[in-house]
Amino acid sequence: MELYVPILVLAVLAAGFAVFSVAIAPITGPRRWNRAKLDAYECGIEPTPQPVGGGRFPLKYMITAMLFIVFDIEIIFLYPWAVAFDQLGVFGLVEMVLFIVTVLVAYAYVWRRKGLDWD
Amino acid sequence: MGETITFWVLAVVSVSAALGLVLSRRAVYCALMLGVVMLSLAVLYAVQDAPFLAAVQIVVYTGAVMMLFLFVLMLVGVDSSDSLVETIKGQRFWAIVAGAGFAVLLGLAVGNAVLSPPAGLLGATQTAGGNVPALAQLIFTRHVFAFEVASALLITAALAAMVLTHRERLTEKPTQRALARARFLTGGSVVLPGPGVYARHNANDMPALLPDGSVSELSVNRVIARHDVEDERFPDDPKLAEAIKQAVEEESK
Amino acid sequence: MNLMLAPVPAGPSLADFGKDPLWISIIKAVFIFVFLLLSVMFGVWMERKLISRMQNRYGPNRAGKFGLLQSVADAVKMGLKEDLLPRTVDKVLYTVAPIILVVPAFMAFSIIPFGPMVSMFGVETPLQLTDLPVAVLFVLAMASIGVYGIVLMGWSSRSPYAVLGGLRSSAQVVSYEIAMGLSFVGVFLFAGTLSTSEIVAAQADGGTWEIAGLSIPLPSWYVVLLIPSFLIYAITMLGETNRVPFDLPEGEGELVGGYQTEYSSSLKFALIQMGEYVNVFTVSAVSITLFFGGWRAPWPISMWDGANVGWWPMLWFFIKLVLVFSCFIWVRASLPRIRYDQLMAFGWKVLIPLNLAWIMLVATVRAFRVEDANRGVIFTLAAIVLIGCFGIWFRFDTVLQRRRENRAAEVEAEFEQLRDEPEAGGFPVPPLDLPHYHGADRKEVPSGSN
Repeated sequence: MELYVPILVLAVLAAGFAVFSVAIAPITGPRRWNRAKLDAYECGIEPTPQPVGGGRFPLKYMITAMLFIVFDIEIIFLYPWAVAFDQLGVFGLVEMVLFIVTVLVAYAYVWRRKGLDWD
Repeated sequence: MGETITFWVLAVVSVSAALGLVLSRRAVYCALMLGVVMLSLAVLYAVQDAPFLAAVQIVVYTGAVMMLFLFVLMLVGVDSSDSLVETIKGQRFWAIVAGAGFAVLLGLAVGNAVLSPPAGLLGATQTAGGNVPALAQLIFTRHVFAFEVASALLITAALAAMVLTHRERLTEKPTQRALARARFLTGGSVVLPGPGVYARHNANDMPALLPDGSVSELSVNRVIARHDVEDERFPDDPKLAEAIKQAVEEESK
Repeated sequence: MNLMLAPVPAGPSLADFGKDPLWISIIKAVFIFVFLLLSVMFGVWMERKLISRMQNRYGPNRAGKFGLLQSVADAVKMGLKEDLLPRTVDKVLYTVAPIILVVPAFMAFSIIPFGPMVSMFGVETPLQLTDLPVAVLFVLAMASIGVYGIVLMGWSSRSPYAVLGGLRSSAQVVSYEIAMGLSFVGVFLFAGTLSTSEIVAAQADGGTWEIAGLSIPLPSWYVVLLIPSFLIYAITMLGETNRVPFDLPEGEGELVGGYQTEYSSSLKFALIQMGEYVNVFTVSAVSITLFFGGWRAPWPISMWDGANVGWWPMLWFFIKLVLVFSCFIWVRASLPRIRYDQLMAFGWKVLIPLNLAWIMLVATVRAFRVEDANRGVIFTLAAIVLIGCFGIWFRFDTVLQRRRENRAAEVEAEFEQLRDEPEAGGFPVPPLDLPHYHGADRKEVPSGSN
């Protein structure tokens, strides 16, 4: 509990600073209204009308996010394993090799099906 | 004392965030509210002397799973509000069954915690030399089977993502070389004219000039030209105005 | 030959934390906060100055001596700029997103060790805001919250460039976060802890290597012991903070300003820039803590007894921080930006498998040292893994070789065809017997006769 109090203090400081900056930004600056300024910026051409309901984006990112979860969980298992490795010894090594090889099966499959390629 | 204050503050925050999650109609706000609930849980774990669980909660749930949610929301169109049509047969019945089951589990867990004297996480992990080594000892010795099964779960997740979202490319991706060849074979314009040495502007709405001073229609920006014709707002330069009209006409053909 | 690693407990450990009175914590927190603000200002100046000198320019030299006050001038200017709120944006998230980006960036710095135990106004306290049993994981956690800022900035702007930039850079950051997380594992294998102060302590003494009666001191910094881990971390450092050569989100040629396109250069934009710089300093400080011995003095200085006690270590830490940050600038001056598909392929197909293989190698070597009894098992295991790796390599190599040969054959065939029939490709080919022009006073001669 006591370990977290300093983090909280720093967080309050940083949050206070950030909120303050965002809050005074409209006050300190000038305000000169202009229709073009309120448009989305698209290099000088008229902004593309945004489709109702937001645009759709490539499914590509979904695979990245999913693989991110898979490897994130692997990392989460690797950390305590690495910390306690000296106590776990060879048994721990064998376990982790098995685990990583199993996850690598999925990885190899995704690679083979070109899930890691970007067009 | 500190724990009590944290609990009450977080109780208010997380319950109101959870309510916001249920009540908000906009998908991204729902996702963010879920993120707040998860962060509050992480802080509660930390306060209860489970730092590893707290960090994992943030890294895996808030960081990875919520990011997947956000990506998915962006994929399906973020603003699409929920459809209230129930598509699964007997959805309500099964929802009630699942809810009741969860309530029973929750009751048992709370009863277990209340009735048996708590050992205290700090004391329990002290013998193994701290929170992380203690966890490692348990995961990699007593619960080794569950640990290995987790890898099978991860395979399933990756395969599901591939099956659901990956679209195999049926044809080879055209290279620059192939594209250039196709352009030449169809005999179309190979390169659009640049502003050239006769140009006096390089703005997007100023077309390129050909050596004889006339306007190159190829370089008229189609989007701007369309807007100009719609608003009947032509530039003073008659040559340019003519080129714009022609460009729009050609496009509409 | 007796190879032993005996980390001598030196400096503060986890048990020394959580004992500060509140006012000491506040002093330390304010110090870190002010330190980060100043280092962002200094960092902006230093980046511009150093990169200018690398490009034979002067860089900022108007505001103050050596242009040192340039950042102050910039900050004032940004404060006086109009704060635009474009019509299309989601007003709440557009305003909140920069805050979400900045706050975790600051918080991640709270577990960075600046020095050993010192006496601060009569209180014995470590020169570190706090330490956790999971300190390094805490840094990763804060980084993953920071990504929200990027995603939300992009999404709430509701313009094509911003949304694409936000998606792209968040995908990039999460991809490199994996490689980054994996590159730490080697350090934990050696240090046996996740707490930053104890990792620094574990790098105090590398043990000795006794050979033929001589005892040679071994290097203690993990950058020497775990070079591959460090190299991978150094690459992910650049990817994680969206710096050159991985600054795709800011690829002006394709995405204008990426996720920050819709932010006018007001204080909100200043906040975004500050968040990015603080992230750079955080990853630099983590690299120092994990690989460069933290606040410990480097070798020639460490001969002096007073080098690693009291307030001096803070100076070594700052010097190391400036040096690491200079490397960021050096990289920026040297390398071009890489393409997005190359970036993702590099992260997923190169860094991650290499990292996993290296971890297994380190763990196997480590297992040798821990247990003497089970060497047979480890040998068998290592042999199986090695044979497997060779098998995979051999298979890939033959496949790649075949692909290369096929491609060469294709090119060859096409060349033959074009030589026989130049028009076949569809490209305008001048006839080979076209008359050549040889100046005004000479008459034209047919091709081939010159």
